[in-house]
Amino acid sequence: MFGYYLSLALRSIRGTPILSGLMVAAIAVGVGAAMTTLTLNHLMSQNPLADKDSVLYAVQLDSWDPNEAYDSNNDLPLQLTYRDATALLRSDIPSHQVAMHRWGFTVNLDNSELRPFTANTRVTTRDFFSLFDVPFQYGGNWSADADENPVQQVVLSKETNDKLFDGANSVGKTVNLNGEPFTVIGVLAHWNPVPKVQDLNNGPFNDSEELYVPFGLHRRFEIYSWGNTNGWKNSDGSGYESFLQAEHVWIQYWVQLDTREQVQQYRDFLTGYIRQQKEQGRFQRPLKFALSHPSEWLVLNEVLRDDNRVLGWLSLAFLLVCVVNAVALLLAKFLRKAPEAGVRRALGASRNAIFTQHLIESACIGIAGGLIGILLALVGLQSVKRLAMGYVDQLAYMDWQMVVAAIGLAIVASLLAGAYPAWRISRTNPSIYLKTQ
Amino acid sequence: MLKMQNIRKSYRTDTIETHALRDFSLEVAEGEFVSVTGPSGSGKTTFLNIAGLLETPTGGQYLLDDDDISGLNDRDRSRLRNEKIGFIFQGFNLIPDLNLFDNIDVPLRYRGFKAAERRKRIEKVLDQVGLAARAKHLPAQLSGGQQQRVAIARALAGEPRFLLADEPTGNLDSLMARQVMELLEFINEWGTTIVMVTHDPDLARRAHRNIQIVDGQVSDLHAATQPEEAVGA
Repeated sequence: MFGYYLSLALRSIRGTPILSGLMVAAIAVGVGAAMTTLTLNHLMSQNPLADKDSVLYAVQLDSWDPNEAYDSNNDLPLQLTYRDATALLRSDIPSHQVAMHRWGFTVNLDNSELRPFTANTRVTTRDFFSLFDVPFQYGGNWSADADENPVQQVVLSKETNDKLFDGANSVGKTVNLNGEPFTVIGVLAHWNPVPKVQDLNNGPFNDSEELYVPFGLHRRFEIYSWGNTNGWKNSDGSGYESFLQAEHVWIQYWVQLDTREQVQQYRDFLTGYIRQQKEQGRFQRPLKFALSHPSEWLVLNEVLRDDNRVLGWLSLAFLLVCVVNAVALLLAKFLRKAPEAGVRRALGASRNAIFTQHLIESACIGIAGGLIGILLALVGLQSVKRLAMGYVDQLAYMDWQMVVAAIGLAIVASLLAGAYPAWRISRTNPSIYLKTQ
Repeated sequence: MLKMQNIRKSYRTDTIETHALRDFSLEVAEGEFVSVTGPSGSGKTTFLNIAGLLETPTGGQYLLDDDDISGLNDRDRSRLRNEKIGFIFQGFNLIPDLNLFDNIDVPLRYRGFKAAERRKRIEKVLDQVGLAARAKHLPAQLSGGQQQRVAIARALAGEPRFLLADEPTGNLDSLMARQVMELLEFINEWGTTIVMVTHDPDLARRAHRNIQIVDGQVSDLHAATQPEEAVGA
């Protein structure tokens, strides 16, 4: 009977093109508005490290001003000082650990017509690639030695390799960074997590870096941070070494702890480290540190803000208004067809049959509304992209989950809209219409 | 075939209760052609709706083929209606945007027949009512008499044993009314039991038996023709 009901639905829709068009438009506008907002929220609230969420931790230490807590959701600095980061790196408890920050190099090639360009660079310890499961296309990682000593090696992102070497295997080739020769030792496959959970300090929806260089290069190139550097106390002296020793937080720190024992040991290690520092006159605030899973880290950094959530609810409320409108239109349409339903009842249709027939018609309208709603959502996302001038390019697209969700939302909306009118017409007394038709 | 015992039907509003049928009792035998007459508002259509399982009585007992229908749910009543009962209405009640073929197809769809079986039955009944060449026409393209013949064809397609006609000639001129009546008599001769509500005394007299309903009760029962002929037909 489904095919029969479907053919009746399509015939009915064709028979009332304006009314059906209005209902499709009502659902399409509601779905379009809701999906534009929900898509942005969905992509903002994704956790690209969900697979390793239970074993990864962002590390925070309270090395801040004894007179005033750090301004964050848990009153802890979101990054570490260089001193603390290099000290923590000496621990052998974590399976992997990463100290890192963002920086920038000017890039050029010898004997190339390519114009020099500035590339976002991640200065990091070698565990970055294993801790975040970053895939390599060619070559591999630098050695542990490069985390402490200046080794001029570089890993290129796929996009940078495409740009510099047309995508060829460039391992072993030389790239000039700030005029200094660096040897390419690895090329990544495409890797661009959204949000950029590994570094939420520098735009959670920015692209991942184009170059990756060893952490041991700091003193050689006097590398500062291209990102947030917050401090409450300068160190004695001046110059780059003074910057490294200052109470400035600018290093992001992650650890991988695979077992409960590791977690407990690492907590003990951090507690011991802070006590030791207190003895040296640092860490004058109450002993406090935090280990946050990526999912917690995203919340702590308010990647999905409250106003985004409110906007999401508002868009669903707008969809509800559209559904209510569709209910009124469907009710008018179905009740106009009540005499036909009466005839069908007399000829053997049960109430359930009449209900199902009209519900399928509602679903057809919903699917049409949903498909047009997806197009409207795509237009909406393009508009958001244009308004944001490139800042949300990674967010303003619909993945397959959202396309399925849009169609599902449209069908649910239309079934909700159609359920009451279909129920009403299935409950009408057929004898009234049989006599008066 | 049909047996009603002390059937009551009342309609209640906030302030008033109307009794459409009161202690209504009637038996119709297999193969009979019964006409039902009575003044407007006497309960004829209510009787027809209850007989056709479109409405449920407030009280009393209704047996159809010795089965008590009072306890049946909507699904079972719909199935019985589809399998055993055919309807013919004064206003024809064809679905305007379906052609004749698809109109006749409606009850067969609910019966669950396969496409080939449905086609065979539709072509047969269209042929019986003389409209085989008009299968793809819409109802609006036919005269009133032709539309009523289509309605009869639709009622016959499921081969019901019981045909309920509510003033089937009420919207037709005398010539077409006579043709429709002859068609009903022909159908009855082939064994289908017919109960026909009518205001026309001439048509009522052509049935085997006429009953009069007044104030929701059967007031008179008399044979319109020879009962034994009718039952034996």
